[in-house]
Amino acid sequence: MFSVSLPGPVRRHFDNWFDNHNPPSPDAILLHNRRLYILPTRFGYLFAIMLLFLFFAAINYQNSMAFVLTFMLISLGIISLWHTHKNLLGINVSLQIPRPVFCGEYCEFKFEVSHANNSTRYAIGLQYADQAPVYVKLEPEGNTEARLKLPTAHRGQFKPMGITVFTRYPTGLFHAWGWLKFDLPILIYPRPAEKARLQQNLVEQYDGQTSTSTIEGDDFAGLREHRVGESLRHISWKAYAQGKGLLTKTFQGHARPSLWIDWNSLTEGSLEDKLSLMASLVLAAENEEQKYGLRLPGTTIEQDYGNAHKHACLQALAIFRQSDFNQELELENG
Amino acid sequence: MASHNLPIRSIADEIANRSSIFAVCFCFLCSIGPHFRNLPLWVSAIVIVSLGWRCLQNLGKIGELPKWVLIPLVFFGGIGVFAEYWTVVGRDAGLALLTVMTSFKFFESKRHRDLLILVFLCYFLIATHFLFSQSIFTAGLMFATLVVITATLITINQRDDKIDLRQLLTFSARLVALSVPLMIILFVLVPRVPGPLWGISNEQRGGVTGLSDHMSPGQISNLIRSNEVAFRVDFEDKVPAQSMLYWRGPVMAQYNGSRWYRARRQVLNRFNLTVTEPAVKYTVTLEPNGEHWLLALDMPTKLVPGSLMTEDFQLVSTKKINDLLRYSMESHLAYQVGENESLEYLGLTLEYPATRNPETISLGKSLAERFDRNEDIIDAVLTMFREQEYFYTLRPPALGDDSVDEFLFGTRRGFCEHYAGSFALLMRAAGIPARVVTGYQGGEYNNVGNYLIVRQSDAHAWTEVWLENRGWVRIDPTAAVSPSRIEQGLDDALSDDESIFRIQNRNPLFGNLLYSWDNLQHSWNDWIINYDDRKQRNFLSKLELGIENWSDMVFALVFLLLSVTGLFWLIVRYRERPPKPEAYEILFKRVLKKLSKRGFQKRPSEDTRAFLERVSSRDFPQRDQLADIVELYNRIKYGRQDDTSRRLNSMRTLIKSLEL
Repeated sequence: MFSVSLPGPVRRHFDNWFDNHNPPSPDAILLHNRRLYILPTRFGYLFAIMLLFLFFAAINYQNSMAFVLTFMLISLGIISLWHTHKNLLGINVSLQIPRPVFCGEYCEFKFEVSHANNSTRYAIGLQYADQAPVYVKLEPEGNTEARLKLPTAHRGQFKPMGITVFTRYPTGLFHAWGWLKFDLPILIYPRPAEKARLQQNLVEQYDGQTSTSTIEGDDFAGLREHRVGESLRHISWKAYAQGKGLLTKTFQGHARPSLWIDWNSLTEGSLEDKLSLMASLVLAAENEEQKYGLRLPGTTIEQDYGNAHKHACLQALAIFRQSDFNQELELENG
Repeated sequence: MASHNLPIRSIADEIANRSSIFAVCFCFLCSIGPHFRNLPLWVSAIVIVSLGWRCLQNLGKIGELPKWVLIPLVFFGGIGVFAEYWTVVGRDAGLALLTVMTSFKFFESKRHRDLLILVFLCYFLIATHFLFSQSIFTAGLMFATLVVITATLITINQRDDKIDLRQLLTFSARLVALSVPLMIILFVLVPRVPGPLWGISNEQRGGVTGLSDHMSPGQISNLIRSNEVAFRVDFEDKVPAQSMLYWRGPVMAQYNGSRWYRARRQVLNRFNLTVTEPAVKYTVTLEPNGEHWLLALDMPTKLVPGSLMTEDFQLVSTKKINDLLRYSMESHLAYQVGENESLEYLGLTLEYPATRNPETISLGKSLAERFDRNEDIIDAVLTMFREQEYFYTLRPPALGDDSVDEFLFGTRRGFCEHYAGSFALLMRAAGIPARVVTGYQGGEYNNVGNYLIVRQSDAHAWTEVWLENRGWVRIDPTAAVSPSRIEQGLDDALSDDESIFRIQNRNPLFGNLLYSWDNLQHSWNDWIINYDDRKQRNFLSKLELGIENWSDMVFALVFLLLSVTGLFWLIVRYRERPPKPEAYEILFKRVLKKLSKRGFQKRPSEDTRAFLERVSSRDFPQRDQLADIVELYNRIKYGRQDDTSRRLNSMRTLIKSLEL
């Protein structure tokens, strides 16, 4: 919305003022007077220019009714300023914690928009940055759901700036908005590395770990009774179809493989590249149903597998050296 | 949902929904509809076709008009307007061009941006109506149109295809009604600048009735069928007698055998007028007549700004009167003027074609032989009209080439122009300089508003003859035929079946209602249409608020606007104030403030627990109390509601005991 560049102290003062008026909220934001902003839209300015033109025409033709019309439209504009403001005032927006996603994917934000007024609210828009907005209509004292899909560009804590709830109803001459700043622990996992690189690195990783794990072979040993907790992937469905019950295929001489995904074993690439690679290793290992552990400088996650384990590993990767990462970003941005 | 992930340039780029497009089509039709009589037929046709096309396209019945068709259409539209008016500026051509271009814009309008621009154009079109008429009726119609346009604007911004028409119109009407008080403030107080700022072509409105610059039989009787108001007059004192109300208009001194014309006359530079009575003072509110005539009582002795008086004592405006005009005027009803008329002009007022109307000419000549004094000749002719079988009628029989002969010696039925024309010709034939004066006679008194209404139906023609030592003398031959026409008015003079519908003829109740309506129109003209810089200053000084000049007005305006919006803002702020913080938050804030004085600042990243841990880790004397306070705070905030008051009390005592 603002593209003005202000001198440093002024800017800081403004930012302070702004943060004081728009404190981030953990769950819900009520749009009261101090959180609302309103400015004319481009059409508001166009309308003003038209009125100026009309005013001069009225003077020139000394046409009283043209004066009446001009003043009527000026008043209409002012009244609509108030109505636009009123349409947004008292709206309550709450956010459910979004599911974590990988960097580069869209993170879906699910908002609940509600109000306690006895009026219908039309065209309440939710918008992220310059993306197309979604609109909701609120019945009297009603509530409704709105979803925004936010693109993600960086791993780590996701604090999207620039989500606004806005309205231009009823005349489109004014744009009233409030900032939606939520203080929720939203994590963006590192972007998984591309497949080709992954395969190569996977092999390298395994090679370094041959003492503790072997690659699953094809030497089929036989069938035994299925035990609860064993993977369904190893069930012999052929035997089950023949009515022999649940039997697990066993492979001779091969233990269940397990591996360490170790930061120190990676030598090439930047911090982000390494984390990407590790994230894809986590996914691949989880996919292969092997036990895996994660070693990062300062953090170790013991070998395990399953959904909770996967997310624990990915979270660790997401927040790893976030401050370094921020510094890196700052350097990049100059 | 997929399209919602694409970045967009602006919110106005979104594709508008169906009902918005229908609404804009209807809105344009409403705004342009009343103009159809002012526009060439082909322009109206373009409006209908393009709106029809857009609606069908909206329904999915037909496709979009391709660009390679549209662009030539726009081009030819412009050419067409130019061919029609030989210009593209000015009121009429400008309106036609605006209409054509707006119509074509509909073909390619599908985004919010386009629709909003179309709606703004509709708002603008309302103003163009006022260039044609500023009557109460037009104003009312435009007010309704304003509601429709605003409803359209709401529809576009509603972003909901479902529309509750009644609710929509109610809301729109409410917006418009809410704007009225502010509009009135602006209308009264925004300083008026005398215009025009740039040259404007003074174009004529269509179908104006009024006096013309020539007179032939049948012309005024046509005018008389119109009940339109010609002008209204507010007298400062008493209204003079009906028989004295001769409103002087175009003077015709040239005669070609069938028609009377205005003679080319110089501007009067010396006005030798002998008067015996004080002047009558009054204000005329003249309806546009599309000509230069300023009407005034015979004989006007004051000039209107932007007007002049010709040598035949006619008030002429330098511009055509295409807008309502209000002027104050003075007249002397008893006067003597023109004794020193130039011989050249007297010669002109004696001329007539010798070959036409031979019987009339010989009658005139014989009268000149019979009488010595010119007064006697005049009396003889008036006696002839009075005593012989002459009739006053609105429907005289048709006349041929020698119309005066046929009238005087054949049909003997005529209207004022027949009597005035034949009388003037008889005078000329008898050697008396004579001319025809057209204008209005009488008027209708509106006792509701205490002013005089003069209608087109009061149009009249009479004569002036020039007599030695007396100058130009008004002679009204119609008065000889039908004295009641002059003394009571037209309706009394006509037979029942010819009577014109006037207010006086109706029953008293209805009549009073109509007088009130006319009074409303008069006040409308007086207060709204004529509210200019002079009127504004007069009005504001009459209020005695000390608003004398334009800087006072601006000050009053700013003061009024600021106080109204300030009051409004306070009310809204109070009604929609943010929720009051809970008692425990206020208490806890006090603790944090105390701690901050001791140098413990809570960081934004810390929650209360982390902050407390940090504080306690230092050598803090009352760490247990502090821990209790935080515990209480968290319990009140997140715990069960029923214990709150007890916990608050203990929190208060703890804070008191906290010696910081």
